[in-house]
Amino acid sequence: MSQIEERGSTHVYKVNRISKEEIDSMVERCVYEEPPFCNAACPLKLDTRAMLKAAGSGDLKKALQVYEKAAPFPLILSTGCEAPCEAKCRLCEVGDGIDIRNIEKAIARYGQQTRLGSIFRTKKKKTVAIFGSGLFPLFLAGELEKKAYPITVFCEQETLEAFLHCETPFLDTDAFSLELKRLKGKDIQFVFGCTITSSFLEEKRTAFDVLCASGSVFQQLYPEAAFLPELMICEAAQLVTCREEGVMAAAFGAKKAALTVDRLAQNLDPRNMRGSEGACESRLYTDLSEAILLKRIPENGQGYSAEEAVAEAKRCIQCHCEECMKSCAYLRHYKKYPGLLSKEIYNNTQIIMGDHQLNKPMNACSLCGQCTVVCPNGFDMAHVCHIARQNMVSTDKMPLAPHEFALLDLYFSNGDAFLARPQPGFDTCRYVFFPGCQASAIAPETVKAAYLDLCSRLEGGVALMLGCCGAICDWAGRYEMTGRTEEFIDREMSKLGNPIVIAGCPTCAKELKSHEEISVRGIWDVLLELGLPEGGYGLDRPVAVHDSCGARGDAETQKAIRTIAEELGCTVIETPYSGDRSPCCGYGGLTAYANREVAAEMTEQCLKRSEAPYLSYCMACRDRFARQGRESRHILELVYGTDAGSPPDISEKRRNRLTLKNDLLRELWLEEPMEMKLDYQLNYTEEARRLMDERMILTDDVIDVMNFYRETGEAVYDSESGLLIARNRVGNATFWIKFIRESENSYTVHGAYSHRMNVVKRQG
Amino acid sequence: MAIEKNYYTIDPEGKLQCMKCGVLLEKGKAKFMYLDNGFPVELPVCPVCGFVYVPEELALGKVASVERALEDK
Ligand code: SF4
Ligand code: SF4
Ligand code: SF4
Ligand SMILES: [Zn+2]
Repeated sequence: MSQIEERGSTHVYKVNRISKEEIDSMVERCVYEEPPFCNAACPLKLDTRAMLKAAGSGDLKKALQVYEKAAPFPLILSTGCEAPCEAKCRLCEVGDGIDIRNIEKAIARYGQQTRLGSIFRTKKKKTVAIFGSGLFPLFLAGELEKKAYPITVFCEQETLEAFLHCETPFLDTDAFSLELKRLKGKDIQFVFGCTITSSFLEEKRTAFDVLCASGSVFQQLYPEAAFLPELMICEAAQLVTCREEGVMAAAFGAKKAALTVDRLAQNLDPRNMRGSEGACESRLYTDLSEAILLKRIPENGQGYSAEEAVAEAKRCIQCHCEECMKSCAYLRHYKKYPGLLSKEIYNNTQIIMGDHQLNKPMNACSLCGQCTVVCPNGFDMAHVCHIARQNMVSTDKMPLAPHEFALLDLYFSNGDAFLARPQPGFDTCRYVFFPGCQASAIAPETVKAAYLDLCSRLEGGVALMLGCCGAICDWAGRYEMTGRTEEFIDREMSKLGNPIVIAGCPTCAKELKSHEEISVRGIWDVLLELGLPEGGYGLDRPVAVHDSCGARGDAETQKAIRTIAEELGCTVIETPYSGDRSPCCGYGGLTAYANREVAAEMTEQCLKRSEAPYLSYCMACRDRFARQGRESRHILELVYGTDAGSPPDISEKRRNRLTLKNDLLRELWLEEPMEMKLDYQLNYTEEARRLMDERMILTDDVIDVMNFYRETGEAVYDSESGLLIARNRVGNATFWIKFIRESENSYTVHGAYSHRMNVVKRQG
Repeated sequence: MAIEKNYYTIDPEGKLQCMKCGVLLEKGKAKFMYLDNGFPVELPVCPVCGFVYVPEELALGKVASVERALEDK
């Protein structure tokens, strides 16, 4: 089989591989959107973090805007509030928490107010009356004014000054005049000098839609009536009111009451749709390891100056959970934390007609599992992306283009380049060496040396299996193909007598372990048991070990690699994010095929951790680091005294696999392999080679086109460039080759390109 | 008569020759097809054998971007 069927444009809607509930519970795990601790502790839900951010940047005006959203009279609140937020500030755990209340005071005092009255806003139709004076009526009037209700306050006092002063004796003169100015700026009607009696109140009932009263008016007029504190309502008296009058109690009460008024004004049950009210617990995670132990800016009892407030606000570390973002280049690329990204990716799988804009992000995750380790809640983004891919495949919406090259590579590994043979002289074997498709492609000499070594030192026979474990199609979400690959490998294994697999690659080891019949060991374990062979070498400079995603959670393998490196004489350096926290090199999950940009960012992030040569135990990692020009070795190269040298291009990778197979067939099994010989000569310019590698065009594709050209003579001559251009459709793509015909049987290829669309002549 | 919509037109301007037929390619009617979608275009075509030529710039430019868009439909 050498062609994969392209999907059509009529999508079927088959299996849903993940339920809405499952994805919701996964999304739940991510605490990114949880409020910071200070904010959670505030009954008014003041966005403390945003306020401190603005203040810390010196923008007190903006800070005041944030503060005013929670507090219509910020000076009164900041003077009287008990600041439950301060005790919850995370910095308290490592030193002084932020002095939030004093910052708020300064913001209220020095931040200019922007909104000068609200006269120009359209008002709501429903009207509200408030009876009495005190903090609750004041705050409630402020809240309702924000909601644009026409409000009338009926109070005993004769002036606005007296109304404001009666409950705020704690304000100093400056603060008092500021708040008075603020009050005057608000669109609230006052009727002064009222004597509030039952009949007075009842009289107004016809003129207003909702009636509210201060706690003392309520007590006086309805001493026996029941009061519902969650709703701030006395249902018997049909009055929105309060019980306590402390600053925070009044402010929080006014918030709840304003919501009740809002619902009543719309003739809705005030019990419903209230959302979360009051202080709550936060599940947010904040890394305090880099929080600097700084002391509070002292306050001398007069309050902070504007500068002092800015300096104190600057100390806020802006609590956020960023563990995954810090460590994963993919998440940083898309600038979305996993909770949100998962939701969007899930929705992407649910679209039947229309653009699947999340295809690219969904296919760019390397399924490496690093996030699950670094996330304090174990968020498993790999699972989400993997399932989403499977879902797209099962509903026939998954484009083939991002993964086709890799999938065809698997067909090649398990087809033309596949080899399964018992050790010469054995019918079945106790072991089988499974180096992995990348090892044969990148370091064939090393594979050969390792196989010969294992054969010579292990009892019971060591078979050899050159092929792909199936990780490629599994990563692509092609579950049916994965099933077929598993069956294929199982069949081949049973022919060899179901030997114990000695895997040369941690990802193969992991993949093969999932087969019921197969037991797997890593070659690193076997080598430590047997002792290292002669001829190995260490590097004379310290090496940075890069742990493979395949070995995540496998401390023994990670340790074995380090032990081998040290036995060889290497000095091992540990980099940040090593062991289970290791990032992916960019190959995993087929990122390198589906999204080269993200893959490059992943490689770069890996290499940033150290300047030293990199030592890995997965050939794909070795290859990607070497491609970036870093000295990069696979542990087996050192063990067997080999050096795979500079990284091969995509065509050389295929040829290496074939050559290794054929060489071994000849040398060990004395079989003459079938080799395709071209009856003409093909040369490539350097530029052509470069373009082919970049455009993922294989020499095999070129040969397909040239064979077709020689058969049919179909080509175009471009008089401008002097080149001939021939084409052939191979599988799902059309390949175009630009060349010069040197002689009847010799051509030089100058360029190559391809497209997936099919082109035909149109009649009429 | 309805005016035909062509998504792309390329004139060979006498610079391209069909090697099989020994004649110059001409501007002719062709169609791109992908994932059950079709797009009428005008490309260099051999008037004798019907060989349709897709130049490199077109393949890597417009064609590639339409492919990506259709793949994510
Ligand atoms: S580490 Fe990432 S995935 Fe985990 S809770 Fe924090 S933001 Fe969410
Ligand atoms: S550091 Fe800042 S964001 Fe974090 S809890 Fe303290 S005040 Fe709130
Ligand atoms: S690339 Fe790895 S760390 Fe990043 S989201 Fe995917 S599985 Fe998690
Ligand atoms: Zn022709």
